[in-house]
Amino acid sequence: MLDQLNALKLEIEEAVAATKTVGELDDIEIKYLGRKGRLTSILKGLAEIDEATRPKVGAAANRIKQEAERIIAKGRVALQERSLSDLGEREREDVTEPGLRPPEGHLHLVTQAIREITAIFDRIGFTRTRYPEVDWDRYAFESLNMPADHPARDEWETFFMDAPTSKTNGRMVLTPHTSNAQVRELERGEFPVRMINIAKCYRRQSDATHVPMFHQFEGLYVDRGVSITHLRGVLDYFATSFFGPGRKTRLRPFHFRFTEPSFEIDVSCGVCGGTGLGADKQKCRVCKRGWLELGGAGMVHPNVLKAGNVDSKKYSGFAFGWGVERTYMMKEGMQIDDIRILYKNDVRFLKQF
Amino acid sequence: MNSLVSYEWLTHYVKLRGTPEEFAKRMSLSGPAVERLLPADAELAKIVVGRIKDIKKHPNADKLRIVMTDVGAKKPAHIVCGGTNLAEGQFVAVALIGAKVRWHGKGDLVALEPAEIRGEKSEGMICAADEIGLGGAFQNAEREILDLGKELGWGVGAHGDAPRRKGGLPSAPTPGAPLADILGLAGDVIMDIEVTSNRVDAMGMVGLAREAATILDRPFVWKEPKDVKAKGKEKVAVKVATKKLCPRYLAVRIDGVTVGSSPWWMKRRLLAAGIRPINVIVDITNYVMLEQAQPMHAFDAATVEKGIEVRLARTGEKMRALDGKDYRLDDTMLVIADASKPIAIAGVMGGERTGVMANTTSIVFEAATFDPVSVRRTSRKLGLQSDSQIRFEKGLSTEAPPSALARAVELTLDLAGGKVAGPVTDVKAAPYRPKRFTITTDEVNCLIGVVLPQKEMVRILRSLGFAVGTKGKHITATVPWWRDHDIEMGQDLVEEIARVYGYGNIPAIVPFGLAPRPMDAELVWEDRLREVAKGAGFTETYSYSFVSKDLLEKAGYDAGGMLHVQNPLTADLEIMRTTLLPSLLQIASENIEREYALRLFEVANVYYPSSVGAYGDTPRRKGGLPSAPTKWTKLPDERLEVGALLVGGEGVWKEAKGFVEHVLGEMGMRDVSWRRMSTDAFWHPGRTVQAFVEGDLVATVGEVSPKIAERFKLDGRVALVDIPFASAVRHAISSRRYVQVSPFPSAKRDLAIVVDARTEFDDIARAISRVGAIHELPLQVEVEWFDTYREKNLPAGKKSLAMHIECSAPDRTLESKDVDALMEKAVLALKEAFKAEVRA
Repeated sequence: MLDQLNALKLEIEEAVAATKTVGELDDIEIKYLGRKGRLTSILKGLAEIDEATRPKVGAAANRIKQEAERIIAKGRVALQERSLSDLGEREREDVTEPGLRPPEGHLHLVTQAIREITAIFDRIGFTRTRYPEVDWDRYAFESLNMPADHPARDEWETFFMDAPTSKTNGRMVLTPHTSNAQVRELERGEFPVRMINIAKCYRRQSDATHVPMFHQFEGLYVDRGVSITHLRGVLDYFATSFFGPGRKTRLRPFHFRFTEPSFEIDVSCGVCGGTGLGADKQKCRVCKRGWLELGGAGMVHPNVLKAGNVDSKKYSGFAFGWGVERTYMMKEGMQIDDIRILYKNDVRFLKQF
Repeated sequence: MNSLVSYEWLTHYVKLRGTPEEFAKRMSLSGPAVERLLPADAELAKIVVGRIKDIKKHPNADKLRIVMTDVGAKKPAHIVCGGTNLAEGQFVAVALIGAKVRWHGKGDLVALEPAEIRGEKSEGMICAADEIGLGGAFQNAEREILDLGKELGWGVGAHGDAPRRKGGLPSAPTPGAPLADILGLAGDVIMDIEVTSNRVDAMGMVGLAREAATILDRPFVWKEPKDVKAKGKEKVAVKVATKKLCPRYLAVRIDGVTVGSSPWWMKRRLLAAGIRPINVIVDITNYVMLEQAQPMHAFDAATVEKGIEVRLARTGEKMRALDGKDYRLDDTMLVIADASKPIAIAGVMGGERTGVMANTTSIVFEAATFDPVSVRRTSRKLGLQSDSQIRFEKGLSTEAPPSALARAVELTLDLAGGKVAGPVTDVKAAPYRPKRFTITTDEVNCLIGVVLPQKEMVRILRSLGFAVGTKGKHITATVPWWRDHDIEMGQDLVEEIARVYGYGNIPAIVPFGLAPRPMDAELVWEDRLREVAKGAGFTETYSYSFVSKDLLEKAGYDAGGMLHVQNPLTADLEIMRTTLLPSLLQIASENIEREYALRLFEVANVYYPSSVGAYGDTPRRKGGLPSAPTKWTKLPDERLEVGALLVGGEGVWKEAKGFVEHVLGEMGMRDVSWRRMSTDAFWHPGRTVQAFVEGDLVATVGEVSPKIAERFKLDGRVALVDIPFASAVRHAISSRRYVQVSPFPSAKRDLAIVVDARTEFDDIARAISRVGAIHELPLQVEVEWFDTYREKNLPAGKKSLAMHIECSAPDRTLESKDVDALMEKAVLALKEAFKAEVRA
């Protein structure tokens, strides 16, 4: 019997050594150690052995059983190690194939611009507001120091609504700029006024640089003692936050009816570093003499303050209003030839952002 | 308004130092912006004066000649030329190899290369004026070349008859001299200057020079012309019927003028400014306008019947203007008329009949002030613009005409001869009173934010022509007449001081502060919603707020009650939309070829009549408008709306609904009730549902009616989402409440039942939950749908619904028997209520 057991042990050893897969090993385990396995049946046969030899044989049988289990376990470990060592080969995948992505959406360029602008002004305490996009002449022009016949109004190619003219408010218009928010905000009578109004605007023009609907952002700061220094401070802060460190602004005289003094704001060119010269020492292709035109600004006209029931002897302020699209286009790498593409809604364009 | 200014010309009014570049830089920072600088001789490189030595026949061409031309080289140049007015001894413009010319005055500039024309070499080109950018200065007939001697009055012209005119260049040049030198263009720079609309004075050389003198601190050297001295006593009779529209009118007659062409120096200055020379008298009126920004006009006195009357046109009156076109006038338009007819549209353009021609011998000069609004309206109405009108409509001073008239007379006597027939007629509405404003030094410094001494403020104002007096801190400034339209109040003086002081010298201080109020909840949620939609795989669109009637009708909307644009750019942009959905369908239809599985969304305002109640009270069909036409006496109710569109297969409505559930979930809405909507022709009657919170509509979602999808050529199924955003925001919850997580495990069971196909899952789920709630020991029951079958082996009109049921109790671990009991009751309840049968 002992011989039989030893032979069995050798047989198991050989079989385990020959296995290549865990499955084969499992089969061996069942074959010898399973409920109907050969070793198991030998052990069952112990009952029939005479009592004298039974303890000895029993102990040997148990030992061999343990050994067999150990051999199989060892074989299992060896197999696992071997299988790990060639895992890369066996389970090789083409990892250059694209991954399975979650659904990917896209935010419109204008949304991204508005977010950036909102965040920049939020950091210095300017609250984003929203005012009507269809508004009365009173807010769009009249209260901005542009009386009915003023030629300055011609600069705004205004859309009028098919609505009766109001005796007190004049005609109903599509706001040609966000400046209608100025007097509306002043009328709240809360000081200081620190507003950034971002809204859709409308003008009767459509070409490569104009769209009939676009967006502007309008800053308004009114408090006691507001001066040109503060406007300069905010402009420089915006330029470095939005365009990048090192960018500067400058003020040039300009004329708007609703500000006095009025300025045209330039930002230094990021491509030529404000030198006006390109890499080839020729004129920079992006800017005019080192500067790019950002938009208009100025100190709020006393007549505008008055229209908003604000005492211009006590309060002063500045305002600026620029095109969102235009300003965003001025960022590097954003050279869009025809601004109308922003509103064509071609998914091939939209998905680039 | 941009004006083109010769730098060289400007130096006659202000003594300048430094380069035009430096000038441009400094002026732009304190005054009119110099936008571009162009060398005046930019197009004349390698173009020289040549003199024709010999003309020979071309052996191979009848119309060509071989012209031996002295261009200053050792040997004359051998040039093939087809000019019909060639003559030996003639001075011509020769483009040498490398010069850039415009063949026959058309097309782009082309660099000349050595050529062989019909077998004969050509070492250059004898040019016509328009081939070298001088078409405005000199006119030559078709196929003729520019005869410099004739035009500039030296040497022998082609026909030997060129008179030596006053102002012509003194002597004939040496062949080979650069043409730019000869024409006085070398070294000059044309500046393109942007003048703001309030500073029409700076559109004149005098005004610009005054600005430059102040900004650059250089001497201003302009001398006012002397008053007109009349030889005779004949005054021009002038009657001004509407002094409101013509507050001042000056006229004077000059007899015995010779109307030839202007001298080169004057032509050159006009050309630099972009004005084409006509004849000496017309040129003088333009020259004075360029110099003083006061437009003028000249009439041929012989053609003016009796006196001049300034009056409104009579409706139906017509006039042929100097542009050769006929204009029909009406009684809002101011005209200058003689006894019979209008002879000029006031401030806009003169009439052809009374224009000054070569044979004119007696002229009447007009220098007047016209109402800017009237000029602007007339010009717009007639669709007629002119250099004159551009200036008048900005507003000119009534004090400007005398100096302009005096200057014109002075130039005329000098260049065209003649004598002044009588004293100047001057009709004025009122005596002139200059404006005067007082400011304090504190006000100035406070607004600028720096401390400037009063002395400096006074210096700046005086330099600009203000008469200034001071008393303590008060500065009183009298506005010079040339600024009487743009200086309207004390604060305007601050600008003058600040800009000349230099904006670049003002420090920058960031006014840090606290935001006065938090951002509006709608703006906050709008931003979050965009992020959610992006995360869910949607692409954001931006479409125009105004849409076409066609589009609305295509989508089944009635545009009648919507707000219309009165002057739309095109019919595509006419109606203020009350919904984003038609626009989304349109965008989908344009993109469907590019991408089938579209997922689009947009957030934008829509425009309702203000009479319609709050959000969500009506389904938004037909724009949700009352059928009677609305009188838009109030501003529209602008409501933010979220629209989304999905294209896909049968189940796409479900994806849309899932998106809405996701959005509402993100907005913290919990108790959303869903109600089927089947009454609206826009939506699919079997696949549309509306979400309500506390009775308010927060979303409509479903498939669009296949009929409408088809109209937009959208194959497959199209689902839409419409969220009235203000309503959704009203029910949004940003801070969530903590609900204790049960420490006891929950028990999960699956249940599949067969019910009538019309039975709705929501009702079944609610029934099961109710069973949990009324159980002896109440259980929390969550029912989660996971499948619906409509298989063939089911009886007709039946469906099988499969769901996960999860039970939990907050205070104990559930035992199997608890759950079994619940399931039994649930099945019983479903049998009773829905005739449901459990599927094995």
